[in-house]
Amino acid sequence: MSDIIVKVKDLKKVYGDKVAVDSISFEVKKGEIFGILGPNGAGKTTTLEMIETIREIDGGTITVDGINVADKPRDIKYIIGVQPQTASFMDKQKLTEIIEMFAASYGEQVSPKKFLDEVQLGDSANKFVEQLSGGQRQRLSIAAALVHNPKVFFLDEPTTGLDPQARRNLWDLVIEVRDKGVTVIMTTHYMEEAEVLCDRVAIMDNGKIIALDTPKNLVRQLLSRGFKKNQVVEQANLEDVFIDLTGKGLRD
Amino acid sequence: MNPEKQNESSRSIKNQLRTVLVLTKLNTKRFFRDRLAQFFTILFPLIFLFVFGSLNKGTGNVSFHVALLNESNSSFSRTFVKQIDSSSTFKVDKTTTTLKQAEDKMSKSQIDGIIVLPPSFGSIQAGQTYPSGQAQVLYTQSSTGTGETLTSILVGVFKGINTKFVSTPEPFSVQGKTVNEKSLTPFDYTFSGLLGFSIIGIGIFGPVNVFPELKKQGILRRLHTTPLRVWQYFMATMLSQAITGVVAIIIQFAVAIKVFHLKVDGSYPEIFIFAILSIFMILGLGLAIGGWAKNERQAAPLSNIVVFPMLFLSGTFFPRYLMPDWLQTLTNYLPLTPVIDGLRLLTTEGKHLINLGPQLGLIAIWFVVIYALAFRVFKWE
Repeated sequence: MSDIIVKVKDLKKVYGDKVAVDSISFEVKKGEIFGILGPNGAGKTTTLEMIETIREIDGGTITVDGINVADKPRDIKYIIGVQPQTASFMDKQKLTEIIEMFAASYGEQVSPKKFLDEVQLGDSANKFVEQLSGGQRQRLSIAAALVHNPKVFFLDEPTTGLDPQARRNLWDLVIEVRDKGVTVIMTTHYMEEAEVLCDRVAIMDNGKIIALDTPKNLVRQLLSRGFKKNQVVEQANLEDVFIDLTGKGLRD
Repeated sequence: MNPEKQNESSRSIKNQLRTVLVLTKLNTKRFFRDRLAQFFTILFPLIFLFVFGSLNKGTGNVSFHVALLNESNSSFSRTFVKQIDSSSTFKVDKTTTTLKQAEDKMSKSQIDGIIVLPPSFGSIQAGQTYPSGQAQVLYTQSSTGTGETLTSILVGVFKGINTKFVSTPEPFSVQGKTVNEKSLTPFDYTFSGLLGFSIIGIGIFGPVNVFPELKKQGILRRLHTTPLRVWQYFMATMLSQAITGVVAIIIQFAVAIKVFHLKVDGSYPEIFIFAILSIFMILGLGLAIGGWAKNERQAAPLSNIVVFPMLFLSGTFFPRYLMPDWLQTLTNYLPLTPVIDGLRLLTTEGKHLINLGPQLGLIAIWFVVIYALAFRVFKWE
């Protein structure tokens, strides 16, 4: 079981009389990209925030790298990196200063330029954060979440609101992070994103996990239940047209 | 903290303090890039300094605003009018030329009294060698005190003139003499009050405006996912606000000295040490309110409830000695009162930190109470 890094057991969260997360259990393997899918209000973000130590756990247990989240939240904070839904930063700050601030929050001293280069923001190092585009902000946010070499990296709907180029670029970044040995746990609304990125996905609805497997297996299971889609053989779709016309190059 | 983890360099106390310094540096840099913050911290108190400073300019000498109606055309009366004009005791309203106008202005309290020099005033009566006459002082019933003072001042003036014409023996006389080489002027009170006002701006309005925005954008929540501790965040804010506060106060001193001729009778290091301690304490209120409030709608009314009593009762805009005794006793214990009193004692009353036991004690007590509260109510989102 040593290849399991995050272990969630009977996790529960209640707001008033609404059960937001209803006794869910799952495990995340070291080095995989694990997706949590589901409609709005399914409990995805609440689940993430409980693992991230910023939301109180009402029932059940979570361990990250063998450490109990409820018992030692501060120890957990040192080994996780978090990219929240909205990438906002205090304005009037240079990109290098943002990186410096996050590193300091973890008690680290880093070379900001190196981290900015990794997310292709090296040229903007001395820009102010308010001058960045949405995609650049997301990339800065990723760089800021990784300044302390975390073991687990959380992304909450990272590509919402990005153009196709920026989205593809972000996918590449997430894969690069995973290839460095960091376990990635992410939520998304985009199924094609989950198919491209995630090694395994959990589908949540009404606070429960209703399916958990690799995207391929989930599709296979659906087909084996006799599901049939109107067969239209498309050699390409509109997104292919868009990318073909506008190119893959990242726009900022 | 875990004993076995304490060895890890990133979690050592030294490193935690380094984190505070990095955040302080970045906060301070942001302030010097933020025009709006600079306006509220530096320019805004300066505007008040100019307004209140001009109102309370001068040495605090009494002067009377009078209408002077000269109906005589004797040379004596013309000289007399010139003398009154140049006197610092009287401010003559030049725009008033008729009795009707003057009475109208007096009934609106725009002038304190009317001095009438009748047509015969200053003429030389038959059989005499010197001029004579009787000036009239008119005042309203509601200002008899002012009127009587005005009358007796004129009596004194005439007495001086009389002795030049006719010498009479004076068995009794009064001589006025300055005993204190320096005494407090209204501006001294105004200035320390306005320093208190800028400390309120730095300590309370600053964080109360910033926190709800940081919470709304999820910036604090994100910091909460890092191991950053609340005390580190507070301490960095304390240090950066102290730095900006010192800059703001230096500018206020410079303006007060240059424009309003403030005489500083104390040591600047002591004044600034005291000001920094005051900023730390008052900032606790801002951290408590901003840290507790979920959004602007909670932060704004609460900060007003806390700030307004202090603005009006701690001597910010009105000196506390004008208040009734019971109110003074009560307002002695407001957090801002020892700050303003202490600043005035250090700046213009020649006192030293060592003489400020009561003020420093009260600031220390408030510091402990306020920060205990601020840590308890702080929320990251």
